[in-house]
Amino acid sequence: MRHKLHRYIIFCSVVLCVTLCSVSAFAQEDTYLKVDAFGSLERPVSMFDHDAHNEKAMIEDCAECHHVYENGKLVEGESSEDRGCADCHTLKAQGNQPGLRMAYHKQCKSCHVEKKKGPVACGECHVKR
Amino acid sequence: MQDVYLLVSGPLAWAAWTIFVLGSIYKIWSTLNTAKQKDQVLLNYVSFKYGMRSIINWSIPFNTVNMRLHPLFTGVAFFFHIAFFALLIFVSAHQIMIEEGFGIGWFTIPDAVADIIAFAVIGACIFFGVRRVVRPEVSYVTDWTDFALLALVAAPFVTGVLAYHQLGDYLTMVILHMLSAELLLVAIPFTRLSHMLLAPLTRAYIGSEFGMVRHVKDW
Repeated sequence: MRHKLHRYIIFCSVVLCVTLCSVSAFAQEDTYLKVDAFGSLERPVSMFDHDAHNEKAMIEDCAECHHVYENGKLVEGESSEDRGCADCHTLKAQGNQPGLRMAYHKQCKSCHVEKKKGPVACGECHVKR
Repeated sequence: MQDVYLLVSGPLAWAAWTIFVLGSIYKIWSTLNTAKQKDQVLLNYVSFKYGMRSIINWSIPFNTVNMRLHPLFTGVAFFFHIAFFALLIFVSAHQIMIEEGFGIGWFTIPDAVADIIAFAVIGACIFFGVRRVVRPEVSYVTDWTDFALLALVAAPFVTGVLAYHQLGDYLTMVILHMLSAELLLVAIPFTRLSHMLLAPLTRAYIGSEFGMVRHVKDW
């Protein structure tokens, strides 16, 4: 009986671990953008709750934001959801590839302007705390 | 509200710059035209050399006798004009918007420094206002339009500081900031703010007369 109980506890732990790990693999729980690449910040960091944003904006396709560009052209149907902005966008622009700050600003604002929803002015994202 | 922001930061900004540029060309053209019709002698005596000599000497702080007679006003006035353009061009938020729109970027000043300069510019506007009341020789030539123009000049800085510190409703403040700056831009060619366009002409005229006709310095 004791033996069975041990096995049951181990089984449950494994299931729990796998569940938790896979949840974090598909979701980003941060409520602020990852901005380590900038070093010291001029403005307050932008709040961004990944999952809440996508639910509200009804975004299903990761590639809506996590795009892939090759030779300056958007590759349709390819997604880079395993990477963050700073993995490709360096602080300074490289040819046609915008620098990191510009990438963030353009990515967010262009969609917000297009959909006529979401923040567009500086302090709407960079909220003082 | 976002629609209003997009209107003010887009089409209205283009309209304001267009009116400013065309209005400025008209203002300079009409001033020269008036001079041509009413005072041809003046134009005959305008000299590039003496005109430039006067402009340069009056552009150096405390270089003229009159500036040294009014050191406080001179200091504040020079600070105000330099700070005005420094903030306009080098505030990071302005530069970022230009970079996003036109793809050109340049050096910016840290926000904390810009904040201090903006407060000082508002202080300078208050100084100019008080001066118009307390100095008899200035108050004599002052009417309400001078205070209105001063308020218009101060408005983008007041709203800019409030928006930066996120005091009051943020989006309203940013919209008021842009709107007041656009009004200011439009007002330049059509009000006494046109000294921005005409000061070099008046300076060149006085410099020419003093330099070429009277053979004396005008500073």
